[in-house]
Amino acid sequence: MTEDSLIDADSAARVGTVAARATGEVHRLQWQRWAAAVGDHNPLWFDPDYAQASGYDDVICPPLFLQYAVLGVAALADLRPDGSSGAVSGGLSFPRAPRRMAGGEASTFHLPAYHRDEVEMTRTISSIVEKQGRSGRFVLVTWHTAYRNQDGALLAEATTSMIARP
Amino acid sequence: MTDQLFFEDVEPGDEVRPLLVTVDQTQMFFFSAATYNGHRIHYDTNWATTVEGYDDVLVQGPLQSALLARALTDWIGGRGRLVRYSVQNRAVAYPGEELTFGGVVTAKRVDGGVPLVDVDIAGRRGETVLMPGTATVALPRREDGE
Repeated sequence: MTEDSLIDADSAARVGTVAARATGEVHRLQWQRWAAAVGDHNPLWFDPDYAQASGYDDVICPPLFLQYAVLGVAALADLRPDGSSGAVSGGLSFPRAPRRMAGGEASTFHLPAYHRDEVEMTRTISSIVEKQGRSGRFVLVTWHTAYRNQDGALLAEATTSMIARP
Repeated sequence: MTDQLFFEDVEPGDEVRPLLVTVDQTQMFFFSAATYNGHRIHYDTNWATTVEGYDDVLVQGPLQSALLARALTDWIGGRGRLVRYSVQNRAVAYPGEELTFGGVVTAKRVDGGVPLVDVDIAGRRGETVLMPGTATVALPRREDGE
């Protein structure tokens, strides 16, 4: 790391460490409200008979909802001025690259989650690298996130990235 | 409700049945509530325009992503399974714009005995790609049918 790196030493030292850990209960009513907000009335999320006829034990949690089942409680006094909680990034900040935007997200779904499953999310910082783009230097942060149920079975994994610019 | 799609029915070049949605602020409010998202950029027009410099509040990226996944899960039916899903946020969308979510099959393969289909997917506004991505779905074979 050079003197003028966008990546400060504190952030660099966190590569490979756990950025966030969270647990939550998967709840049918919550995922059904989410699905309705998406206009997604797939009977796999709503109809136990249909889900069983499709090979499941019961209605299943929509795969993309799983990430919200572990969201914590945000105290209003702790919110950023823009109303967001900032918990997902594990508090990483880059003083020399304060403008952040979401990059991509790639998820692999291994097993379905059911009502009242207890899910544990573990988010690890995979890499923090400085890159040169068309519009200048930026920092690319990549996280790996694993979701496991109460039996320790891996339900889903995700690789998420964020871009921070000076 | 949804027709079942089988592995044998799909060939590279086939289209995912497109989903057309015009998101309005009521849907955005319910989606922020359902995802516990307090970000003002999705409901505070004054914040979105004055502080953030956008033309209006922004449709949530995760809502666009969920709509794109819905296009896939509607298409593959109850016995199909979303295995891998990868998207990037490339451009913003505003409420009131007609968005299209769909994709094109790029490959068929069998991995460990599981019939898989790879799809290039995208959320679009007209010709503008807002959210490109790739996905893999597992489909049942006809001979396994009930």
